[in-house]
Amino acid sequence: MRRSDKYRFWVILAVLVVLQFSARRWLGGDRVAPDFLLLALLIYTIQARPGPSAGAGFIVGLVRDALTPASFGAGALAHTLVGYLSSWSKAVFFAENLFVNGCLFFAGTWCRNLAVAVASGKLKGGMLGWELLVWSPIQSLTTAVAGVLVLWLVGRRIAVRMSDA
Amino acid sequence: MALGADRDRYASRGDTVVFVGCVLLSAAAMSLPGRLRDPLARALRQTVLAPFLSLQQQIERLSASLGRYDAVVAQRDSASLVATFLPELRGENSRLRSLLGLGTRLGTGYIPAEVLRDPEPTSPLSFIVSAGKKQGVKPLSTVVSPEGLVGIVSTVDQQTSVVVTWAHPEFRASAMAADGSVYGIVAPHGSEGPRVWLLELEGVAYRQLVANGTPILTSGLGGVVPRGIPVGVVVGVAAEAEGWERTYLLRPAVHPAAVTHVMILGGAPGGRGDLRSVFESGREAP
Repeated sequence: MRRSDKYRFWVILAVLVVLQFSARRWLGGDRVAPDFLLLALLIYTIQARPGPSAGAGFIVGLVRDALTPASFGAGALAHTLVGYLSSWSKAVFFAENLFVNGCLFFAGTWCRNLAVAVASGKLKGGMLGWELLVWSPIQSLTTAVAGVLVLWLVGRRIAVRMSDA
Repeated sequence: MALGADRDRYASRGDTVVFVGCVLLSAAAMSLPGRLRDPLARALRQTVLAPFLSLQQQIERLSASLGRYDAVVAQRDSASLVATFLPELRGENSRLRSLLGLGTRLGTGYIPAEVLRDPEPTSPLSFIVSAGKKQGVKPLSTVVSPEGLVGIVSTVDQQTSVVVTWAHPEFRASAMAADGSVYGIVAPHGSEGPRVWLLELEGVAYRQLVANGTPILTSGLGGVVPRGIPVGVVVGVAAEAEGWERTYLLRPAVHPAAVTHVMILGGAPGGRGDLRSVFESGREAP
């Protein structure tokens, strides 16, 4: 593994984090725009072991909980679950394929929203239905498209084994 | 695809331990009482998230500036055109004054702020705004938009604040009919059924009927929210306890998810008096 590949991987994750706080405004609004922070986490989990992925998910979720105190802790739980399951399922089931990775991003985003909604206990009935059947699929789709674009553009450049990183 | 996941990395015992630990920590975070949770969240916002929130704030300002640029250019062109006709200019000036918005009508003692949103599903219940202790925001300050009540400030950081909107399950405010004939408590209607994102006016005496279309304003009782801020309009009866009280459904004046900029009222709530005229003159503006 080349050192430049390792740095490139972290730079791309950092760019995704910056995009989360800068570019989303111009990408369709809060409910529709891709979730770049979750995307960075999912890209990390593609290559990392389940344990570190769960830890990264917990940290990302806790940081996000600071921005939405109405559901403090729910984000940490949701991101932990998504990080762990994404990494585990990627190792066990999924082949290395751009479309499959897109499906992983879609499912990861939707499951994260489901877990936040359920764990926070604030959304029920009609609100929960709208969130899970309308807004979450749209956000999952845009996140998946953004993720596929990222992998398509720079996937070969970030071929880093996280155990070496 | 070059992203090579090695096939031999199923979850080891160490991975499982880390996962279970994170889940337990998350559960602990969820069960934290407010007095521990708020300082922790504040510490994260003021350290890890501070540069990102600052970046988001700058982007919001840039976006707002770009949006205003076209309006300013259009106004300048219009002003140049009408400047050739003095009577028309006077009329235009009068109209522009009336369009200056809630900020002018409020005079002093308010703090403008941008809403810094997060894409999680619960973001309409509470959100971060780009003004904090440094700008003079205090806990329990009332947050309004030109249309009416948005919520109240729950936590104040150095540069940002957390706003609990009226949609939050724990939000309550004392309210009254516009003519002062009926008083009650306003609360979110809840998340069940087809009437989500509506408000309720609870505790109205059974003998007092409130007609559909009646505007409901804050009453100022309780000393937190100033009197006279529009809350919503009555759209029907939600429930009634026979012979005792009725609960009315309100269509809210402001939807939290649609708010991009807010004003945080400063000073003592009692010192502001009745704000009814401020919002009424806003509705009458062309």
